Amino acid sequence: MADKTANKKTGNAFTNNPLVKLIGVQKIVVLLVLILLIVFFRANSTAFGKYSTLLSIMDYTYYLAFLAMGVTFCLLTGGVDLSIGTGMFCYAIIGGYLITHKDMPVIVGILVTMLLGLAMGTINGLIVTRGGHAPFLATLCTMMIARGLGAIATNSTSVTWPAYSAANGWTRRIFKITIGNTKYPLGLLWVILLMIAFSVFLNRTRPGRYITAIGSNEEAARLSGVNVKNYKMLAYMICGLCTGLAGLAYSSAFQSMAPSGGGGIELNAIGAAIIGGTSMSGGSGSVVGTILGVFIMSVLQTGLPYIGLQANYQQIIIGLVLIVAVYIDVLKNKRLAR
Amino acid sequence: MKRKLMSVMLCATMVASMLGSVAVKADEEVDYSGITLEIVSKGLQHQYWQAVLQGVNSKAEELGVTVNFVGPDSESDIQQQVTQLQSALDSNPSAIGLAALDTSSVEDLLTQAAEAGIPVIGFDSGVPDAPEGSVYATCATDNYAAGELAAEMVYEAIQETVVNAESSVRIGVVAQDATSESVVNRGLGFIDKIGELAEADGKTVGLASNSNEKYITDSAFEADDDADVIIEVLVPASVTSELSATDAGTLMDKEDTIAIYGSNEHSANAMITANENRGVLGTGEGQIIAAGFDSGASIKAAVADGTFLGAITQAPVAMGETLVELMVAAALGEEVEDVDTGCQWYTAENMDDEEIAQNLYD
Repeated sequence: MADKTANKKTGNAFTNNPLVKLIGVQKIVVLLVLILLIVFFRANSTAFGKYSTLLSIMDYTYYLAFLAMGVTFCLLTGGVDLSIGTGMFCYAIIGGYLITHKDMPVIVGILVTMLLGLAMGTINGLIVTRGGHAPFLATLCTMMIARGLGAIATNSTSVTWPAYSAANGWTRRIFKITIGNTKYPLGLLWVILLMIAFSVFLNRTRPGRYITAIGSNEEAARLSGVNVKNYKMLAYMICGLCTGLAGLAYSSAFQSMAPSGGGGIELNAIGAAIIGGTSMSGGSGSVVGTILGVFIMSVLQTGLPYIGLQANYQQIIIGLVLIVAVYIDVLKNKRLAR
Repeated sequence: MKRKLMSVMLCATMVASMLGSVAVKADEEVDYSGITLEIVSKGLQHQYWQAVLQGVNSKAEELGVTVNFVGPDSESDIQQQVTQLQSALDSNPSAIGLAALDTSSVEDLLTQAAEAGIPVIGFDSGVPDAPEGSVYATCATDNYAAGELAAEMVYEAIQETVVNAESSVRIGVVAQDATSESVVNRGLGFIDKIGELAEADGKTVGLASNSNEKYITDSAFEADDDADVIIEVLVPASVTSELSATDAGTLMDKEDTIAIYGSNEHSANAMITANENRGVLGTGEGQIIAAGFDSGASIKAAVADGTFLGAITQAPVAMGETLVELMVAAALGEEVEDVDTGCQWYTAENMDDEEIAQNLYD
């Protein structure tokens, strides 16, 4: 919202185009970059274009998409949630442990995973709003708690959710369905539906607008009668619930999860949100942009090995992309300040 | 049948080598109750360590010694392990068991142990390059030999294809890292052996030039993309499931790939993930032969349903037992020497045999 007014000041034919205004400059740029990346990888590797590669990219995208959409809410309020990577592992391991080691129905495992996510989100929200802790510090602490919790609850065992072909392996089939002899990336549908729901929530409902307003100027929001604490709390709870969802997506895509794993994944999710145009300082951003950012991350991660690039160069390139994305954010803030 | 016979023979030799090294005599007259053992592992998060612990506990109970088994929260928490070793040392135990995450960070403590006369026994990956006189003996899997065993089994399955190939063929290695002693040696053992076998059949062997540098430098072969048999070793930039699965996927997508090997549980799992969308692994016509390492629910299922030709398992239970025996012997001032706790090749046919099943875990 804020950057639209900024664009008016320094606008040109492209940025003043109504369609461009509607979608947002950064999203268009990110989308173009995404298309360019796909074309580039496709041109340099025949295997990259295979349907199985597409399926793999999707498998590796869902969990990151849920995490990144969730953390976008925290970023919008000017906060952050560092507990999501470790938390995702913790919740899914406990849920999976109940299924595989305690013979509980799969649905119990799913509910436990989701509820743990929601509970941790609520705790994060309470510490930030009621305790007054800086968000990065509060969620750093809950990250440590999540790490210990997963190990204690499962007696330090790694957990594998039921296999794709197993009778109770339907959680995996929620994300990848087999019709005839072909597998379809069903998870993409859930990601898109959630993205639409969140977009409507953020742009068309009062609580959604308040969340963005808090990040833009907390004091102004408070003075105009917004219950800042409650809406911040809501953002962390949404993030927690998304983390639970991500746990399901992760355990559906991969084989085994070890307690105390997942550290560092939160940075990929935050990185994706920032590439997609969400501001580190809060107040501007969108879940559509975040999803585009997620795809940039997953296409880069999958595509770079296909063109025969050694692993360590891949990290450098992803790091450089993030620097550019953050720089764009800095430029936007400078323009706003003017 | 031939394969089964071979596995049985290998099992037999390994068990024999294991039994031959037992250091403690089951002497009724010796009272072990005053002996306290402190064991610092690399962590308890993997089933593998739980199996080691199981072996430690059963042997400790049998001998009537007191054991305290600890480990850091994750295998990257070096500092936490150092602290744990410090407290172990402070409690002045009869002996210390250690699987060091990083030798250089525990060097001082090992010197202190040597000065205090507390014997240290290494286990799992042990304590490579430990200060002179501090580590009395190590019980571990010979990872290089384990890699060689995997190579022999895989080569038996692909030999015909290799010999009859008119153009180059590719063998993929999915490795978790190029830093840990165990992972690297399992990779090198596999590369060197399978290359040696192919050369014996009159083929030229080289590593793909995009392979990890460490493996190119340390293996017996040079980088050569035009060799008859190309071995491609991929290592992810960080240990995540999707990066390793992508590595496995790129290998499976290459037209000339005939076999693929994952050198630990993480890498073998990544192969299973990549294969879920491709369905190219198996022993049938035109399928890629796959071999894994360690166990876990997914790997066991892949071996049982024929996705994997087989996998290597270490003997963690036996390792735990041997560790306690060595520690007790060292505490009593007896001579101790290194013990190879062995490994086994398991397939759909033999994985239910008791000898192997006890070392497989979910």
